[in-house]
Amino acid sequence: MYALEIKNLTKQYKDKTAVDNLSLTVKRGEFFGLLGQNGAGKSTTIHCTTGVAKITEGNITVMGHDVQAEYQQARDAVGLSPQDFNVDIFAKIEHSLDYVGGYFGMPKEKRKERINELFKLLGLEEFRGKAFQELSGGYKRRYMLARALMHNPDVLILDEPSAGIDVEQRLALWEYLRTLHGQGKTIILTSHYLEEVEKLCDRVAVIHKGKLIADMTKAEFTQNGNTLEETYLKLTKEAKV
Amino acid sequence: MNMIRLGAVTKREVQRFLRIPVQTMISPWISATLYILVFGVIIGERIDFLESIDYIDFVFPGILMMQLIFGAYGQSAFSLFFHRWTKTITEMLASPLSYTEIVLGYIIGATTRAIVVSAGVYAIAVLFTDATFANVPLFFFYILVVAILFALIGLLIGLWAEKMEQLNMLQTFIITPLIYVGGVFNSIDMLPEKIHWLVKLNPIFYMVDGIRYSMIGYSESNLLYGAIGLGAACLILFVIVIHLFKIGWKLRS
Repeated sequence: MYALEIKNLTKQYKDKTAVDNLSLTVKRGEFFGLLGQNGAGKSTTIHCTTGVAKITEGNITVMGHDVQAEYQQARDAVGLSPQDFNVDIFAKIEHSLDYVGGYFGMPKEKRKERINELFKLLGLEEFRGKAFQELSGGYKRRYMLARALMHNPDVLILDEPSAGIDVEQRLALWEYLRTLHGQGKTIILTSHYLEEVEKLCDRVAVIHKGKLIADMTKAEFTQNGNTLEETYLKLTKEAKV
Repeated sequence: MNMIRLGAVTKREVQRFLRIPVQTMISPWISATLYILVFGVIIGERIDFLESIDYIDFVFPGILMMQLIFGAYGQSAFSLFFHRWTKTITEMLASPLSYTEIVLGYIIGATTRAIVVSAGVYAIAVLFTDATFANVPLFFFYILVVAILFALIGLLIGLWAEKMEQLNMLQTFIITPLIYVGGVFNSIDMLPEKIHWLVKLNPIFYMVDGIRYSMIGYSESNLLYGAIGLGAACLILFVIVIHLFKIGWKLRS
């Protein structure tokens, strides 16, 4: 069973095909990188996977559950840290996490325990009584990660998790992601920092204009002494032609 | 139905309105106090109205109903719009919450706010009127059904609106005028007979008349038809709102 299986996914907006007949699999426990230029269809694929966007054609399963027919089981298996800060900026972060835990059916005591654990792990303890808008960029990203991890999902989807954070915080984030991966979590990462993808991911796929143009292991990407960035640029250049 | 999930949506809604008490509670209480003072006490004392009923006792149920309606509508419409606007709604869409749990959470939150506001208005009214109850179960029936109805209308508008001002448009151009001509401040007998039919087409008239009957035992409409109509409207709107959430209308791209 795959952690994520996308079969012939097409996502059509009014006059634009954002994802075009995309098929992709992510194995359980894999650290998977999803690359592509802005507007390539990465976020749309993630949105279709998590139920934020409707699927035009095709199907997606998460941990064996169809995201449409068995949406509750599928969503229970996924934690999403989106690119945008889609958070109630006026609510205390402790309260916001408590609501999210509740959405996933976690009982009160378990929520409290998990919030304490995550705040400690991600260094958010001193901000628990603060509203999201009062946090700095780096701590906002940490909160987003805490929210994605709140219900301890099997699959973690991180859409640009290190956007807007400084070098030290990025390194700390990588360390934490490695720990999560070591604990057996499947992690799907999209990022414009190719160095980040190269350092963390086992396998990388590239999307261009909604189509899959590459799906290789990191070793295949970096063969012949090329960096991941060089191979990526070559692939997207060829796709444009 | 998972009670933990439903409880989480409800808790978020209740904490949201408790976070902004001036806007959600104090403002309607001040507004109701002014209505009671001006229309009920100052003007009311000069109005020779019905033989057995003081004018303030006649208008108070309508004032209560007005704040109940604004409270329920304001909570669900603004909250849902805010969640769409900030994309916080995706927190719920990406979770295992069922559409019924989401909708019920909004409704319970809005109804709670409407009841808290109404309780405050009632407490203020006790200072100026007898604020009696002629039929307690009927009073709570109207409070609940009207709050649920306007919570549902708020959800529809919260889904439809693209701009904040569209939320106010319905309140300013439809709800408020209907309330003012819905018999809050006057008996239908005070109006020319040839427009009585027009008043009877106004759904607010049945809500005001129903709650007035439950408080002072005075009615000008067929209460049974009114109650059936309100119940049916709630059911129909509930089905429509659930359907719209299910298809993701203006929620999922």
